[in-house]
Amino acid sequence: MKQHPLCTDPEHGPNVMHLAVPIGLKREWAALETRRQFLGRTGKVLGWAAMASLMGASALRGDTATAGTGASGGGNGEPIGLPNFAPKAKRAIYLFMSGGPPQIDMWDYKPNLAALYDKDVPDSVRGSQQLTGMTAGQARFPIAPSHWQFKRYGVTGTWVSDLLPYTGRMVDDLAIIKSTNTDAINHEPAIMLMNTGNMNAGKPCLGSWLAYGLGSMNDNLPTFMVLQSKLNPKENNQPVSSRLWGSGFLSSEYSGVGLRSSGDPVLYLSDPDGVDREVRRGMLDAVNEINRQTYEELGDPETHSRIAQYEMAYRMQTSVPELADLSKEPQSTWDLYGEDAKEPGTFAYNCLMARRMAERGVRFTQVYKRGWDLHGDVTGVLPTLCAETDRPSYALVTDLKQRGLLDDTLVIWAGEFGRTVYSQGGLSHENYGRDHHPRCFTTWMTGGGVRTGITYGETDEYSYNVVKDPVTVRDLNATILHYLGIDHNKLTYKFQGLDQKLTGPTPASVVQGLIA
Amino acid sequence: MDAGAGRLLPKDRATRRAWLGAFLLILVLVLLPWLIRLDGKPHGDFEQFLGRFHPLVVHLPIGFLVLVPVLEIAARFKPGLREAAGFVLGLAFASCLVALGLGFLLAYGGGSAEPGVTQHMWSGIALTIFALLCVLARPLWFGGEAQYVYPALLSGCMLVLIWAAHEGGSLTHGSNYLTQYMPAGLKRILPGGAPTSGSFYIQHIHPILDANCVTCHGAGQVKGGLRLDSYDALMRGGADGAVIVAGKPESSLLIQRVTYAPDHKGFMPAEGRPPLRAEEIAWIKAWIQQGASQTAATLSGISFREEQEEPPPQPVGDYTALLPEIQQMDLAQGAKLKPVSRKPEDGLVLYTVDVAPQFGDVQLAQLLKFAPYIVEADLGRTTVTNASFDTLARFTHLRALHLEGTGITGDGISKLAPLTQLTYLNLSGTMVSPAAAAQLRSFRNLRHIYLYNTPAQPIAEAPAANAIRKD
Repeated sequence: MKQHPLCTDPEHGPNVMHLAVPIGLKREWAALETRRQFLGRTGKVLGWAAMASLMGASALRGDTATAGTGASGGGNGEPIGLPNFAPKAKRAIYLFMSGGPPQIDMWDYKPNLAALYDKDVPDSVRGSQQLTGMTAGQARFPIAPSHWQFKRYGVTGTWVSDLLPYTGRMVDDLAIIKSTNTDAINHEPAIMLMNTGNMNAGKPCLGSWLAYGLGSMNDNLPTFMVLQSKLNPKENNQPVSSRLWGSGFLSSEYSGVGLRSSGDPVLYLSDPDGVDREVRRGMLDAVNEINRQTYEELGDPETHSRIAQYEMAYRMQTSVPELADLSKEPQSTWDLYGEDAKEPGTFAYNCLMARRMAERGVRFTQVYKRGWDLHGDVTGVLPTLCAETDRPSYALVTDLKQRGLLDDTLVIWAGEFGRTVYSQGGLSHENYGRDHHPRCFTTWMTGGGVRTGITYGETDEYSYNVVKDPVTVRDLNATILHYLGIDHNKLTYKFQGLDQKLTGPTPASVVQGLIA
Repeated sequence: MDAGAGRLLPKDRATRRAWLGAFLLILVLVLLPWLIRLDGKPHGDFEQFLGRFHPLVVHLPIGFLVLVPVLEIAARFKPGLREAAGFVLGLAFASCLVALGLGFLLAYGGGSAEPGVTQHMWSGIALTIFALLCVLARPLWFGGEAQYVYPALLSGCMLVLIWAAHEGGSLTHGSNYLTQYMPAGLKRILPGGAPTSGSFYIQHIHPILDANCVTCHGAGQVKGGLRLDSYDALMRGGADGAVIVAGKPESSLLIQRVTYAPDHKGFMPAEGRPPLRAEEIAWIKAWIQQGASQTAATLSGISFREEQEEPPPQPVGDYTALLPEIQQMDLAQGAKLKPVSRKPEDGLVLYTVDVAPQFGDVQLAQLLKFAPYIVEADLGRTTVTNASFDTLARFTHLRALHLEGTGITGDGISKLAPLTQLTYLNLSGTMVSPAAAAQLRSFRNLRHIYLYNTPAQPIAEAPAANAIRKD
């Protein structure tokens, strides 16, 4: 066979045609190795190699760092090939209401329950469900109708509780999902399931999957950021831990980066006295060199992550102060978000920060608001929780909309489960408690790709079971990935012999009714 | 019955009596609507109670009648079935009578007298008569006489059955039930298909009413004296007066009824049918607000979305050959050109956010080589100026352009007019003047224009939701 002109290797290797192999094989070889096929294939390989470095984690940083751990597709330096299709949303903001907001008091309007005050929830409704240890021992399951009135809002005439006057105003822009349901009944597994797609710790969370799959839009800020809201001691705050925004078996550079709610947003980010930018740079270069040597010696991909993280921290020294500097925000911002937004760490402040991050190309921002675990004193605590979150959520969506960002930003509002229709502990006309309820809870989404102005799914008259269009956590996550241009079955990573994915092995489906 | 009429004359007294009885029955059936007039007034609850079993019982004669020809044909191979066919035919006729009676009670008791109901009644009467004639003709056929009369009657019976069933189905499901999701190609062939172009009313309002309302407010049933299947009828209103008050959506009964609480007695669509979608209500409101015109082609200034009108993205060429160069440019400039998706025809997105302060007109001009492949350019907070419009005009496939927070004032923005693919333009926080913003109105496909915090739309005037969506 003739030597290819670009081939630098001189023609002294054995030629198949001269070897003592059956003539049939020689013919097959000749047929396979035509010049056109050779060129075509080479061209494609070059193209894909270049594409690989453009996509996913940019250039040499990300994917090579995981080489050897066996990432399917991407990990071995091949292109991940994401997004799978043109996305509607480029970034997402997840407002996570940790503790389980009571859908009956906020969204899932059941006016007929008023007549059933203190009647028992029929056994047929509860079925054989296993309850939590907190109410399983109760002799009765008396119905606690919502203490609050509901009003209709918007041209959609959607019923919203009086607790959410601001959210009510934007109801036409939301897709309200009343049929979300989960497999877990206690906080930790339920939050893990919502955030990572699995009740057990150790799996990458949604934000990490997105950072891994879609890469960064801004090299000066983390791809995935986490904002925790300050605790209100009046509320029943369940802990949230870093494994909720951890990267699991993915490289640790895809973990969420938290901003602190007070003082320096990132600890030890500012240079100590007497150390200027140049000294810092010199020190980093030296440390990186040592790390590189370590990598060559040991080959641990986490060393690459460490180098990348040092570099990120260096760039964040200028980008984070700019991000957190609210002095240039006009008065209209405070008129919209409220004065609370001036105080770092409030949910309002975090919503404003989420908007600023969206403007600056942060791919995924997760805001946690704790305190929704309303086992008792619902009428005492719920108004506070709603007052803290109602206006900022509205402000965030409105602000994104007026700035033209809502077209390609996805906003999700969800907790880990709902709350029971029956009262936990004593029921009176003035007060009641509500236990965890996994069978139905209400979430909403808006923004790029979402079919807005709809209510999706229905619950029965007790807001207990889903009777129409159920949406599992898997379906919800598959749908979220879909908005971002990802086929949830294709964003996988080989680990422990499995093609791991956010939605897990149980089949999940994109909820077509929520797609614009 | 014509050919063998002579031979068909009954021979013995008993048969003659049966024929006489049948003739009388047919007479009663034909005269029934005149004996008991359907006057459109409700006539008592018990009649209605019984009548409401009509939709249930009506399926019995359908099943029996369809079974008769099946059995007759099958009897050629299994002669034992011949007898069964006769029995089933008898049952069919009996159940026809019961169903007809119940149907009549339903219409009489409920006070329905609309054209659709009377047509269905006549089809039911015709079917019963046909079934009766079949019963009479079958013994003759069985006895070897009048070979073709019974098969002909039975075939006629099937045709009348289809007519009656279709009329009935149209009453419960609406006349457009079958055609609503018919493939467009098929619709064009059928006469009377929905017009696909024309005024806003034809394009947007009529289809909503047609899909949701005309089942009860159309040619079939005219509940409340209201028909919504034509513009004239819609504007005429019903027993409660006008349902549309041009210019006043809030005072329009139609809007009031569809926006009641779903459990409200007056909520429409009634009887648990799905409510109108938000955007549908918004369109109707906008249409009423602007005069409820039959002919106006478009509405202006109202924020309604027409998802279908977004032009389909035009595929760009294959840029994979340029990838090595793109990569070099990325490294040199710090700006990023990223694929929209794994499909090259989806194009590239330009990100500049991490180098925004150093990215200006010069850097943008360096990207001209890749311009035809770039479908979205994020130039927010960069130092580009009005001079960049010349460069951007050559980004022929640009669909979204972010210029928020730049020093652009809008002079020369009309240079972007040739970008026919452009649907999104963000100018928030720039110094774009009202005059420049006005020029954007002539851009063909540009529907998402953001002018928040600009001289063209100062913050104080900005309504909460201020995306100007052009119609």
